[in-house]
Amino acid sequence: MLVNDKPLLSIVTHSPGTAIGVALVSLHLLNAVFAPLLIPYGPTQLVGAPVLAPGHPDFLLGTDVIGRDYLSRLMMGGRTSITVAMIGVLGAVLLGTFFAVSAAHIGGFYDDVVMRIVDTKLSIPGILFVALFVVGFGRSVTVLTIVIGLSYFPGAVRTIRAQAMTQVPLAYVKAARLRGESALSVIFRELTPNVIEVVVVEFAIRTSSAILIVSALSFLGLGISPPTPDWGLMVSEGVDQIYTAPWLILLPAAFISTLVVGLNFASDGLANALGLDAARGLHGG
Amino acid sequence: MTLLDVRDLRVAYRNPSTGAQAIAVDGVSFKVEKGETLGIVGESGCGKSTLARALMAYCRPGGEVVGGEVLFDGTDVLRLSDEGIRELRGRRMAMVPQDPLTSLTYHMKVGPQVDEILQIHQQLDAAAARLHTLKLFEGTNLPEPEDIYGRYPHENSGGQRQRVVIAGALACQPDLLILDEPTTALDTTTEMQVLKLVKELRDRLGMALVYITHDLTLTDYMCENVLVMLDGKVAERGTASRIFTAPETEYGKMLVSSIPRLDSAPPPAAATPRPEAEKPAEPLLAVERLSFRYRQRWSLAALFEPKDLPLAVDDVSFELRPGETLGLVGESGSGKSTLANIIVGLLAPTSGNITFDGTPINEIDKHRSAELRRRIQIVFQDPLSSLNPRRRVETILTRPQEIFFGVRGQAARDRAVELLEDMELSADLMRRFPRQLSGGQQQRVAIARAFAANPDLILCDEITSALDVSVQAHVLKLLKGIQQKTGAACLFISHDLGVVKQVADDTVVLKDGRVVEAGVTHAVFDKPSHDYTRLLLAAASRREDYAELQMSTHPGRQAGTHQSPEGYSC
Repeated sequence: MLVNDKPLLSIVTHSPGTAIGVALVSLHLLNAVFAPLLIPYGPTQLVGAPVLAPGHPDFLLGTDVIGRDYLSRLMMGGRTSITVAMIGVLGAVLLGTFFAVSAAHIGGFYDDVVMRIVDTKLSIPGILFVALFVVGFGRSVTVLTIVIGLSYFPGAVRTIRAQAMTQVPLAYVKAARLRGESALSVIFRELTPNVIEVVVVEFAIRTSSAILIVSALSFLGLGISPPTPDWGLMVSEGVDQIYTAPWLILLPAAFISTLVVGLNFASDGLANALGLDAARGLHGG
Repeated sequence: MTLLDVRDLRVAYRNPSTGAQAIAVDGVSFKVEKGETLGIVGESGCGKSTLARALMAYCRPGGEVVGGEVLFDGTDVLRLSDEGIRELRGRRMAMVPQDPLTSLTYHMKVGPQVDEILQIHQQLDAAAARLHTLKLFEGTNLPEPEDIYGRYPHENSGGQRQRVVIAGALACQPDLLILDEPTTALDTTTEMQVLKLVKELRDRLGMALVYITHDLTLTDYMCENVLVMLDGKVAERGTASRIFTAPETEYGKMLVSSIPRLDSAPPPAAATPRPEAEKPAEPLLAVERLSFRYRQRWSLAALFEPKDLPLAVDDVSFELRPGETLGLVGESGSGKSTLANIIVGLLAPTSGNITFDGTPINEIDKHRSAELRRRIQIVFQDPLSSLNPRRRVETILTRPQEIFFGVRGQAARDRAVELLEDMELSADLMRRFPRQLSGGQQQRVAIARAFAANPDLILCDEITSALDVSVQAHVLKLLKGIQQKTGAACLFISHDLGVVKQVADDTVVLKDGRVVEAGVTHAVFDKPSHDYTRLLLAAASRREDYAELQMSTHPGRQAGTHQSPEGYSC
C-alpha cells in the first residue's frame, strides 16, 4: 500500500517513536481481537480465592477482589472501550468531514451556522457534557458511543474545515465548478480526497483521547457497567485495596497507558509523515 | 583584487529515506573581483539557489557541501567555525532572498528588524541603531522612512518590502551582496525600480554582487560577467553582452532564443493581415462598458460597517472575433484576472454587458447553460493547483468529456490520448498524478483539459508566468497549434509584453481596471500612445529612460502612500 507515493512501511519506520507506537497499538489490537480464544478462564467466572497476588501457579496475574482471573479480565478489558471509542470517533470524523468540507465549499451563511454550532459545543466542558448526557440517557454502550461521537464532532469539523479552506480557493475547484459539477460532486470528488490525511490523523489522535474518556467514565461509574471487564472499571474496583494490593490498579492502568501512549506516538508519526508530504505535494517539490 | 574565489564547489542532497545522493552543484568554479557584478543564470532546478546558499555556508535541509572551497577574501568559508561564519554573515557578506514577505518576521515592525542587525553586528545602542536604520531606508529610496519604520511587513507593498530587506542586507556595508532572484515576486515596473536601486548602491558603496536569476535579459542589464548553469554545472561563461548576443553553447543559444523579444519581428502567424472584407460582422465576445466592484465577504462585521471597495474593473470595452487572439496586458492589480473571472462566470459584473456569440452572458456560471460553459474554457496561472492532486491525468482529461458530451470509457480515453498528443505529451502520462509531472507538463495537461470541451473561446490567465522561458516558448507554440487546429478564439492575459506580442492579434492595455490603450498588437507596441504603455514597454526592455516615465505615471508610488490593492486581485 502506498501513501503519498511512499510505502506505508516507511511511515512506520519514520522514527523510533512511531515504530514503538505502531508496535504497541498492534499488540493491543491483536489482543483485543483474539482475547476470547486465548484467555485461560471466563472473565466473569469466579475461579479462585479473592485478591491472590500475581505469580500464583494457576492464576498468572492473580485474582481480583471477588476471585475472578485477573489476566483474563485484563485481556478482555479493552474490547468494549476500544470499540466504543473507535466507532464513536469514526462517526464523528465521517460526519465531521462532510460538514467541514461542505461548510468550506458553500461558505456564507451555511458556514456561519455550522461553525457557530461547533463553537457552542466547544464552549461546554467536555467531561461535564459527557457526564450529563450519560446521566440523562442512561448507561449503555450505545449511549456511550453516541456521546463520544458528539464530543469529538465539533473538534473534527474545526480541524478538517481548516484544511478544506486551504483547498477551496485553488484553481482545480474553480475548474470543477466551471465544468458544472454539482456541489455534492465538488465536495466528495474534488475536496474530500484532498483533506483525507487530516481526517486519518484526526481519527487516530481522537481515538486515543476517547479511550481515556471512556475509561474515566467507567472509573466514575458512568461508563461501562459491571460485570463487563473494563480497565477503567477495574481501577475503580481496586481502589479500596490500593495499599494492600496495588497491582489491582497498576495493571489495568498500565494497559490503558500503553495503548494511549502507543496511539499518540503512532498518530504523531502518521501526522508527520503525511503532513510533510501533503505540504510538499502542493508546492511541487 | 579577487574577493570571492569558488573552486570546484560541489553540493549534494541526500534523500532521507533511501540515502541516495543527488548532486545539485557539480564542480562549479568562478571568481568575483571587488566591485564586480557576476550574474548566475539558469532555469529552475539548475542548482543556482543552492549555490548561492553555499557561498554563505548555508544548506537547505538534507543538503551538504561535498567538495571544493569558497575563498572569501582568502579564507575558506566552508571551513570556518560557527563563530567565524557568524562574523562574516551580515557583516561582510549579505543575502537578499526571493520572497521579501517570508524573509521578514510577520509580527515585528520592519524598522526594529533592521535595528536588530545593527545592534548585533555594530554594537549600536537602540537610539543610534534607529537613526542608522532611517538613513538606510532613505538610502534605499523608501519614501517617508519614519512612516515605513513603524509599519508591519504586510502593510508595505512588495517593492517596499524588498527595499526594506535590501536595507537590512546593506546595514553593515558588506563587501559582497548575494541576490537570489530578488525581483521574481515583483511586477515588471517595480522590478526595474529595485534593480536600478541595487545598481546605484553597488556603485556608491563599491560592493561586489552575485546576482542570481532565471531571466537572462536582467543579467544583461545588471552584470558584467555571466555564468550560465545547467544541471548543477557551468554550461557557459563570458561577458553579459557576449552571452546575450552571441551564445556559444547549444544551451545558451536555446535560452537566448526562448526569450520573447519585443524588438524581434512579429512571427508571421501573429501578423496575419485581416482583409477588411473578411472580417465577420459579429464578434464572438463583446465586452461593453464592464465594471466590477468586489463586495465585502458576508460577515456580521460587514453588516455594521459596510466599506466601499474600489472598482477592480472600470468601464472596460473590447471585442474578440472568432479564431483570433486578444492580448490583455497590465501589472498585477490591474483587474485583468478579475475580467477573466467575470467572463467565465465566476463573478457577476457590477454593471455593463458581455455578449458571447450574440447572446448576453452577464449571469454567473450557475445560471449559464452547460453548452455555454462548454464553449468558454479557462486555463489558470498555476498549473499544479489547477489540477486536482488526487486525480490521475486520465480522469482529469476524461471528466469534461463525460460532463459535456456524455462520452466515457474507451472513447473518452482515446480522445484523452489524442489531446495529450496535441500537447506533445506521451500516452504514458495517463496514469500519473499531477505532482508527478513537471510544471510545463502540468500546464500542457491543463490546456488539454480545456480543449477536451471543444471550446470556441479559451481564456488564458497568465498561463506562462509560472514557467521557465524555454518551457514557456514550447507551451505557447503548442497552444497556438491547437488553437489553429480547433479554430478557437483566445483571450490571452499576461503581464509579459514579450509574450503578448508573440501571440496576440490585438492588444488591450489595462491600468487600475481601466483600458488605457487598445488596438492591433504591432501598432500598440510600435507606436504606444499612452505613457503607461510606454512605461511597460520600457520596463520590459530594461531601458534606462524608464525612471522618468515612472515619475510621470506613478506619482503615488514615489510619494510613498500608494499601496497596490493586492488583496483585491484574484
